[in-house]
Amino acid sequence: MSTTTRNMTLGQRFLANEWSALAVAIVIGLVTLAVLSPAFLTEFNLYVMLRSFCVVLIVAFAQMLTLAVGQMNLSVGALGGLVAITVGGMMEKWGFPVPVAILCGLAIGAAGGLINGLLTVRTGINGFIITLATASAFTGINLGITESIPFYNLPASFVAFGTGRFYALPYLLLPPVLIAIALAFFLARTVPGRQLLAVGGNPQAAELSGIPRDRVIVMAHTLSGLLAGAAAILAVAQLGSAQPTIGVDWLLMSFAAPIIGGAALTGGHISVAATALAVVLIVIIQNGMVLAKVDPYWVQFLLGALILAAVGLNRLRAVRAGGA
Amino acid sequence: MKWSLTHGFTMTHSVSSDTRGRPSFLAEQSNLIGLAAIIILFWILFTSLAPGFVSSFNLFALSRSLAVDVVIGFSTMVVLATGGMNLAIGSIGVCAVMASGYLMQTIGLPIPVAMALALLLGAFLGWLNGFVIVRSGVNSFIITLASASLFLGGMLILSKAQTFNALPPEIAAFGRMRWGFVSPLLFIALGIGAALIVLFRFTALGREILAAGANARAAELSGVPVGRAIIIAHTLSGALAASAGLMLVIRLGAAMPSIGQDWLLPSFLAPVLGGTLLAGGYVSVVGTILGAFLVTTIRSGLLVMQIGNFWLQLFLGLILLAAVMLDRYRSIYAERRSLGRKDAGRRSSGRRA
Amino acid sequence: MNQRHRGARLRALPMLAAALFGLAAGAAHASDNKIALIPGGPHPYFAPWEQAGKDAAKDFGIAAVDFKVPAEWKLNLQTELVESLVTQGYNAFGIFPGDAVGINQTVEELVANNIPAAALAGCAQDPTKMSFCLGTDVFNSAYLGTQALIKAMGGKGKIVHLAGLLVDPNTKLRMDAVEKAVKETNGAVTIVQHITDTDAQEAADQKINALLGAQKDEIDGLVSTAYIPSVVAAKSLRNLGDKRIKLVGIDDDQIVLDGIKDGFVAGTMAQNPYGQGYVGAYVLDLIASGTCTVKADAPWIKTPQTEHFIDSGTLLISNDNAATYKDDLKKITTEIQSTFKDKYLTCK
Repeated sequence: MSTTTRNMTLGQRFLANEWSALAVAIVIGLVTLAVLSPAFLTEFNLYVMLRSFCVVLIVAFAQMLTLAVGQMNLSVGALGGLVAITVGGMMEKWGFPVPVAILCGLAIGAAGGLINGLLTVRTGINGFIITLATASAFTGINLGITESIPFYNLPASFVAFGTGRFYALPYLLLPPVLIAIALAFFLARTVPGRQLLAVGGNPQAAELSGIPRDRVIVMAHTLSGLLAGAAAILAVAQLGSAQPTIGVDWLLMSFAAPIIGGAALTGGHISVAATALAVVLIVIIQNGMVLAKVDPYWVQFLLGALILAAVGLNRLRAVRAGGA
Repeated sequence: MKWSLTHGFTMTHSVSSDTRGRPSFLAEQSNLIGLAAIIILFWILFTSLAPGFVSSFNLFALSRSLAVDVVIGFSTMVVLATGGMNLAIGSIGVCAVMASGYLMQTIGLPIPVAMALALLLGAFLGWLNGFVIVRSGVNSFIITLASASLFLGGMLILSKAQTFNALPPEIAAFGRMRWGFVSPLLFIALGIGAALIVLFRFTALGREILAAGANARAAELSGVPVGRAIIIAHTLSGALAASAGLMLVIRLGAAMPSIGQDWLLPSFLAPVLGGTLLAGGYVSVVGTILGAFLVTTIRSGLLVMQIGNFWLQLFLGLILLAAVMLDRYRSIYAERRSLGRKDAGRRSSGRRA
Repeated sequence: MNQRHRGARLRALPMLAAALFGLAAGAAHASDNKIALIPGGPHPYFAPWEQAGKDAAKDFGIAAVDFKVPAEWKLNLQTELVESLVTQGYNAFGIFPGDAVGINQTVEELVANNIPAAALAGCAQDPTKMSFCLGTDVFNSAYLGTQALIKAMGGKGKIVHLAGLLVDPNTKLRMDAVEKAVKETNGAVTIVQHITDTDAQEAADQKINALLGAQKDEIDGLVSTAYIPSVVAAKSLRNLGDKRIKLVGIDDDQIVLDGIKDGFVAGTMAQNPYGQGYVGAYVLDLIASGTCTVKADAPWIKTPQTEHFIDSGTLLISNDNAATYKDDLKKITTEIQSTFKDKYLTCK
């Protein structure tokens, strides 16, 4: 790519970025909604949108990391649910201080991911199947512990973090932004991060050049679990209670965002920025459907159509950029 | 190796083409025997721990849910054969369900005509998936992820989520019918299985679908119309999803919009436990039936044994994990014995298939 | 969880009085029936059923009244659970239909095996073999809730309806009920939109906050006809500090009750889950023993869903009766239980 970039015009270079189509779609969406509805750009609505952005973004990152090595993690939601209720339980039943509970929650998330990774690598069974099975197990532990009854009485400081805001900026936005920056740095500038992409891009070549392939896959799964845990803790703060149902709806979003962001399922090709933009687009669409008072029966339909449109647009861009 | 874009879903785990593909006849048989042995073990266990497990009431209930699970498994299996995925089977199923309800209750068409039209609709939606996948060159996972949402949304818009509950009484009567201890639905499922065996064993079309899945580029070079094979596999998958939906209409005596929402897990479990490869190129019809049988047995057994409802899901997950791992090691063992003379590199890459 | 159960037990104490009354009326009839109370899935609404079952077993001398919950809110998990319980020897079922229509085939099989079933909390759609339906009239409850909201808004303004799962047929009934109440104002009140699929915490949080973000200055009232959106809307209005938008919810979650106390919630429609479980178990025991059969010409209420409906009681909780509504519900439960035999059953 880098050798051809020099010969491109500015427009072509813009098209060559995986996030260009997304950026255009986001701008169109923002302008349309701002024109159609004066309420769209109010402080409170911006706050609402940014707030719903947080959890989805981390969930998308969690899936993105497994996609990077050509794996999938169907257990993101199940693991998230498990972390959510253990964190809630530690704070409500055992009275753990907030930071300790959070650290324990993250550790459980990472451990769940580690189990996924080890099972995948050690048995040689496809990660899709392993995580399908562990998802069932994680959900089972969650339901077994809680019997589906949420933990309501969480420390006030923790809940306040979930609802607090600085003008339109929710405090909740801080962790995802930090995670995004850390992740971008990790993938671009560190050895394990580069190994991760190398293994996804071409496993045989990576192995030949001495990269410990199995270890990298385990690492990707562990990080994915860690992020699923982080997303769950954020969701608990956002909802103000530790619901056993947290994570149930994550699966579709977790795939939709990185894929709309141009990630290839075969691995090796992911982008933190494009995934983040994809989440922005999804949030705008969801918000827009409420603003536009879309008939509830159309919501499902439009969501599917928009995913398809985004993917189509992205492909068209790839073809154009490639042809130029 | 890099696969062509028209080819659906591949994992990095897919290995160089010469090692994968159809397991040897011996490996295939041992796979099925192993699965059957696990099932028999569970039956002995459950029957001795909970005598109610083999009561005629439970056997009938078990046979009926087995029938549906088997057909759901087939629906995913035929797409796995091409190395693709179909995440939209639940949505296609519910579209067929609501269409059949509308045709029978509102239009008043005779039952066979309505059912045939519903099957056609399922096949058409499947064809649509296949067509878009082949034409766009986008991964089947993504296309069907989006179309699942589209189809479900379309159904909700058209039906307003209203249940059809005044279907002809023959429908419900058929659902209650018993042949011995089992539901006739199970025989329909087995009949479909027989037809699929014929398709994949004895017809050129079946072999083309498998060839497209095993190695799309090689198949194309040797003159197999890969695109057509993928489209046909998706069409078939749609029709099978519709059949599973119609079986549920018969079982419930009503056409409901909530059918199909939880098909994803069972649809993959049955074929994968049965030895069908996710990477494509190999299917096992009998294995899929046995896989569905194992899952249904475990579910029913755990429930009858009064293992706390809430822990059921955990046990299900762990047992499935154990089952796939056991199966995995057993087949590695069988492979090593039969391929003992081959070089080590082949063995180690086979492990990752 | 413990806390929740303890709450149910506290509420149950005065129920003992009702129970003693029941004992006196029904004489000491002990039975070896095993009754299962089965909700549609895990949901906080049904938590009082567990205690209700235990109390009923004790008070009426029933061998077992067990609360069995399908692990997830899916019809096939519910029917599988029912089937496995039959295998385990349970011989009467109180069921909240996971699907109003889909449950009927299973019920028909139960009845064919001489196992009676009753719909509790929500009805099965006729034609059904359910012995009766003891529950909240969903249409009526949504209708009364909307009327209460309209009253709180001073008879005019714009409202939004927050509804439960779109695939649940009751959701359509509730939408119709809200529209009926709105129509009766002759245009003084208009309905801006129905927001559906909000009966899960994350979806509710996202959709309700988006709604408030977009239209908080345009809308004057919210009526919620499902448990979770009531809680989330109460919480969101408190976060927003908005007392102008009136909210009428459903059920008595603590967050909603606190909202009423502090003026963020105008009212909520209480249902009577404990009474449904308690009376349901009592009647199922009588039917399963063969002592009684259901009367055909009883004073059933006819609803769009079924012709064998018994109202388990619904009332509006507002600031006036927030402290006393539980006693009112208990009175209703005692009343239904003590008169049930004469009104709806033919006994030997």
